[in-house]
Amino acid sequence: MSLNPAQKYPDTIPAIDTGKVMGLKRPLTLAVAGNPNAGKSTLINALAGTRLQVGNWPGVTVEKKSASFEANGRKIHLIDLPGTYSLSPYTQEEIVARDYLVQEKPDVIIDVVDVTNLERNLYLTIQLLELGLPLVMALNVYDEALQKGYVVDIKGMEKMLGIRVIPTVATKKTGLDELLAAVTELADHPLPRSLKILRYDQDIESAAAVVAGHIQADHPQLAEKYPVRWLSFKFMEGDEQIIEETGLTPDDAAVTQAVDHLIKAHDSDIESIMADARYSLAAGLTQEVLKKPELRKIELTEKIDRIVLNRWLGIPIFLGAMWLMFKLTFDVSKPLADWLTAVTTGPGKRWAAALIALLHGPDWTASLVTDGIMAGVGSVLVFVPVIFAMMFFITFLEGSGYMARAAFVMDRAMHSIGLHGKSFIPMLLGFGCNVPAIYATRTLENTRDKALTALLVPLMSCGARLPVYIVFIGAFFAAHAGTVLWSVYVFGIGLAILMGLIFKRTLFRGEAPMFIMELPPYRMPSFRSLMIHTWEKGKHFLIKAGTYILAVSVLVWFLLNLPWGVTQKQDSYLGRLGQAVAPIFKPLGFGTWEASSALISGLVAKEIVVGTMGEIYVKRAEEEKKAAPPTLTEDLKEIGTSLVMALRNSATNVFSSFAPSSLSTAEDESRAGLKTAIQHTFTPLSAYAFILFVLLYMPCAVVAIAMRQEFGTWKWFGIAFGYQMVLAWTVAFVVYQGGRLVGLG
Amino acid sequence: MNLSGLRPGERGKITRIGAVGPIRRRLMDMGVLVGVQVRVEKVAPLGDPIEITIKSYKLSLRKKEAEEITVEAVQ
Repeated sequence: MSLNPAQKYPDTIPAIDTGKVMGLKRPLTLAVAGNPNAGKSTLINALAGTRLQVGNWPGVTVEKKSASFEANGRKIHLIDLPGTYSLSPYTQEEIVARDYLVQEKPDVIIDVVDVTNLERNLYLTIQLLELGLPLVMALNVYDEALQKGYVVDIKGMEKMLGIRVIPTVATKKTGLDELLAAVTELADHPLPRSLKILRYDQDIESAAAVVAGHIQADHPQLAEKYPVRWLSFKFMEGDEQIIEETGLTPDDAAVTQAVDHLIKAHDSDIESIMADARYSLAAGLTQEVLKKPELRKIELTEKIDRIVLNRWLGIPIFLGAMWLMFKLTFDVSKPLADWLTAVTTGPGKRWAAALIALLHGPDWTASLVTDGIMAGVGSVLVFVPVIFAMMFFITFLEGSGYMARAAFVMDRAMHSIGLHGKSFIPMLLGFGCNVPAIYATRTLENTRDKALTALLVPLMSCGARLPVYIVFIGAFFAAHAGTVLWSVYVFGIGLAILMGLIFKRTLFRGEAPMFIMELPPYRMPSFRSLMIHTWEKGKHFLIKAGTYILAVSVLVWFLLNLPWGVTQKQDSYLGRLGQAVAPIFKPLGFGTWEASSALISGLVAKEIVVGTMGEIYVKRAEEEKKAAPPTLTEDLKEIGTSLVMALRNSATNVFSSFAPSSLSTAEDESRAGLKTAIQHTFTPLSAYAFILFVLLYMPCAVVAIAMRQEFGTWKWFGIAFGYQMVLAWTVAFVVYQGGRLVGLG
Repeated sequence: MNLSGLRPGERGKITRIGAVGPIRRRLMDMGVLVGVQVRVEKVAPLGDPIEITIKSYKLSLRKKEAEEITVEAVQ
């Protein structure tokens, strides 16, 4: 079924229709609300397709999706509210959702309800109805309900709730035309507000009436700004956020008395009374409209969980799944990343240089463009395949329902160091690359868990640090290469545990962690939905982070090449900076300007460290072979064939994923000159201290940018940067000086 | 008796919720209310958290959170 209404009605006789439309049909803003796992994302994908845009809600780390499109000849602006179970002010998601609804007052709310979990979903619906905004319900996953033999009295539901209820199957795009029709119908013919109000029991209603009367009499400006009934309930509940926002205080004796009376009559606290009232209504409604078959079949989800959450099989299955995901993410993306690097550094640079020569640009522009800008573009592109691959798997894990199980299985272990079960996946991804790992922290709901995970991720030694270890291990510890390399990784993990325990008791003291999480039924995410999500999230990264990375890359070029005309690296700004900070590293055993400059360049990316050291230490020992540059056709041919090779390698890596290859210590022959050079300036002890320093100090500028992007402020990055520097220095100091004390080195 | 004391397969009826603040509110929003029946389904492989069925869906929570929920056993 085609869902794109713009295609369905191809420019409906524009000359006549537009005029009519202009006068009658205003553009509509629709807000899509619903529980997590109710199929909200799939429904939005089905409605908006590729017109979907992914961003963040201002100031918070909650993902915001929106889309603008035309349907039935009118403009529609669709806003996806974060999935929430309630409209209380305790999670960022809930605050974002309700602030939007209260302040922006969308034309219509589309409430996506999972019919197989009706009662809990209705709990949110009932709260949405308190807002008094026009609302249409999408009764989703309807096919599953029919399959299970549920009988739903749609008409009865519409009557009791006073809203239109449209059965939908978002994954199959069923019922969406009807949904949009009902929405536009409601927007064009709004019902009188007083038509239907869901009433709670008498005590609550009379208390609410007193509060509402007080608001209307004493605070008419609030009565205009907020839905009064809703505001009364929030005030009664003692909702701190609303009380602060409105400045409402119980300055009216009648109000306090009414609420006190309510509490006494129910012999309970106000939050319980309200939650009870809403759930009773939801339970009553569910009983009236939903008939389940007497004999309940054992559901597929239960069958799968018997195996996946099994006492003995649970952890092996989880570890297997994680290993597969890790291998697929990094092994599939690696050949493509290598190909992109080869294209930008080879033909890309040559073409840029040729273009500048053609335009008679001065030498420095050629260098800026090739070594600054093109290198920057290259370092953005390198992340593209891995980010897309990671987004794909994370979206799949979340959409299928396995993410919650992974958290369930791992929570005990992760919680012991103050983390959440879901933290495991970002930590694991960190061993491949810290950047997707930081982005993966968005699967955590709680800011505390998210921040703590992001602070510990950099201690997972990423693939880019490996070349540094390999050079140094090759030069000093060739006989025990495997053991030494292992010790570095284990050291990182050990420190992550230690820092987790420290942060838990310091930075995050007093913040109550919680693990109250739904285990949603397993569902197969639709391929289309997966693709759209992966694409949109990946694109978001590219645009946002790409700009920063490019800027940093150009900055590094300036540091390396200015003042203009330097021939000795020592005289460049980077070299001078290296000289300036070298004394700091003296107690660590590597206080030379060469080592310092290499470490400074490593702030940008660890990939650069070995390269910088090569340039500094080896001093162009190997003159670049001046072969005749390839022609344009040769270049294009090479790009084409290498892409085919890369794709083939990606594909074969999927199947050869059962041989661990990512952590191989295969030695790079071309580094022989560098090795001899560092053997003269380092001792085994200072080399090991250097390796640990590289393991622990800030991974790279892109991680900084990723943290800024995920947290909306530089705060968490600042904390991470500071503690990593202190930690790296301290550890290297203790190892080097301690080693000397016991007579090593 | 509290919820963490129930073994997999056992049912209980909630009589009191001791948790406070955001945890209490979150529990209530998830339908964990006095008078509601729950059934313990599973304990995670490492012994914590637990999985329960409540209001015909599956919810997981840590034992520490379950300890704050008082239940009476139901046959």
